[in-house]
Amino acid sequence: MTDAMIEFRDVSKRYGSLLANDHLSLTIRRGELMTLLGPSGCGKTTALRCLTGYVRPDEGRVFIDGTDITDLPTHQRELGMVFQNFALFPHMTVHDNVGFPLMIRNLGKAEKDERVTQALRLVRLEGYGDHYPRQLSGGQQQRVGLARALVYRPKVLLLDEPLSNLDAKLREEMRFEIKEVVTRLGITAVYVTHDQGEALALSDRVAIMNRGRLEQVGTPEEIYEHPQSRFVAEFIGLSNFLEGHVQSTDRDTMVVSIGGVQVGAPALPNAGPGQRVLLFLRPNEVELLRPDVPGGTNVFEARVEKATYLGDTIDYRLTFGQGLALRVQTDAQRRFGQGTEVRIRLPRIRCWAITSG
Amino acid sequence: MTLARAYLRAMWDAKLVLAFTLLLSLTMFILAPLLMIGLRSVGKGWFGRLWLPPQLTLDWYRWAIEVGNIPEVMKNTLIIGGIAVAVSTAIGIFAGWAFGRRQLPGKEVLMAIVLLPRMIPPITYGLGVAKIFYTLQLVDTYLGVAMAHVSVCAPYAILVLSATFEGLDERVLEAAGVCGANTIKRFFYVVLPLIMPGILASMIFSFTNSYNEFTLTLLTYGPHTVTLPVRTYLAVGDGYWEITSAMAMLMVVPSLVILALIQRRAKPEKLVGGFKGV
Repeated sequence: MTDAMIEFRDVSKRYGSLLANDHLSLTIRRGELMTLLGPSGCGKTTALRCLTGYVRPDEGRVFIDGTDITDLPTHQRELGMVFQNFALFPHMTVHDNVGFPLMIRNLGKAEKDERVTQALRLVRLEGYGDHYPRQLSGGQQQRVGLARALVYRPKVLLLDEPLSNLDAKLREEMRFEIKEVVTRLGITAVYVTHDQGEALALSDRVAIMNRGRLEQVGTPEEIYEHPQSRFVAEFIGLSNFLEGHVQSTDRDTMVVSIGGVQVGAPALPNAGPGQRVLLFLRPNEVELLRPDVPGGTNVFEARVEKATYLGDTIDYRLTFGQGLALRVQTDAQRRFGQGTEVRIRLPRIRCWAITSG
Repeated sequence: MTLARAYLRAMWDAKLVLAFTLLLSLTMFILAPLLMIGLRSVGKGWFGRLWLPPQLTLDWYRWAIEVGNIPEVMKNTLIIGGIAVAVSTAIGIFAGWAFGRRQLPGKEVLMAIVLLPRMIPPITYGLGVAKIFYTLQLVDTYLGVAMAHVSVCAPYAILVLSATFEGLDERVLEAAGVCGANTIKRFFYVVLPLIMPGILASMIFSFTNSYNEFTLTLLTYGPHTVTLPVRTYLAVGDGYWEITSAMAMLMVVPSLVILALIQRRAKPEKLVGGFKGV
């Protein structure tokens, strides 16, 4: 693979009895923004620290640009990194912070100043060179961090939860700013976060981790629309889970029997009748209909148990079939009160199934 | 209404008077001995029951400097202080790094051992030190007296620098590493500037400790290593109160200079904590 920039090959790291990385194998392509996403303790930070060299894997090798860097000291790895707590040098001005990697590399003053100015322009902080980090806001400090990481044009940019110390509004802004800068430079970037919104908005591909293992790697669309496990579906947004078994299959569709109702869904390869399956349905993909709408495929009678007004949407808890619970979110245009009989339609192509048990 | 207000006002005034009286008493309690010695050192012909000396003079200072050989004694004091500061700060940096940044087994016990010289009565500790120093022929040498001082200065240096190193943000050091700095460059460009306040605090503490150290000096000094506190004490034995007072006042000067420096240059409470929370 010539387009592989970073490769984890069978990397394992153990802390006492905790297996932080369990035979992790992952390839990150050149110029790609890959997000490592997962709950805290899933091993994403350990994986990142294997890249910086602050963690030495017990087993396996790590490659950057075809070179085995597993035993290379941190300072020779030519990385750029943005930290969660900014980790700027408090005793240096913004200019010196950004110029630090260049100073370490003994660059001439003229070229150094030129590149620092460029980097500061890139993050829209021209004119802040003389400030000290403590004089800047959180967002500005993190932009200095980004400039410092990019100033010497590293092969790889690492971002360790760079937005989690910022307030919500700023976080959203910075998201796009980081995405734009990374895209413009075409740099390979690894972004670690536990925020699925960030992951979906920023990434070219997302790697979801759980308990030291990779759950799924894919584009944000693949991850969101076609989760390969219950964990992924639960972690990325809200989802309904319906357990049942395949009743019949017919080329590209199948009928799944769930708690007394038959639901049509896209066929699963190698899932014959009798196979136990798990159906996922996002709450906003269920259609809520008036009870007098004629029935059809995947249309069922349901009852509103609870309706919660959320401003732009209404969140319904429904029951249908034999005690099946379903969460549905619709826009606030049409409202159904508590106890109302309604009909629901489960769009067939939105019923995503995986085999279970 | 007005009566009540006047009453309250009087209470308020009384409170102020009371507060000031107490404050003044406290100040006097602390300052009276110093004031006494200060007056004594400039008073001439001050006998009997006079409240204040009838005549003022600086003669006693001249006498103290000439007879007491103060320049020589001051030189000794500063050299010994300098050695003590250098050694204890060096110890403090290494020990502080270990205490502040490493996972040491039995850290609390080790810290207790470090603080032990401060807990043992100085005379007890000093007797042991003297015994060893006589054998090693370190008595009456600058190095010997300074080493005795280090035993009380180093614990301060270690305490202060441990706190400073603990306050260092690991992530900042990691950032320097990712930026391409090796261990040596990391130390000189990042660690050292960040712990500088701690080093300064440790130096100031060590110096004042060495400068004021009496018991340990008394047990290890000799004719060539008389320090200011010991010289003053010896002068008391000679019976010239005025000259002794002048010496004692002279001793205060460097302390005041250091205090002024600290006050102007930095906030002492900031020195100890290093850059925590920046």
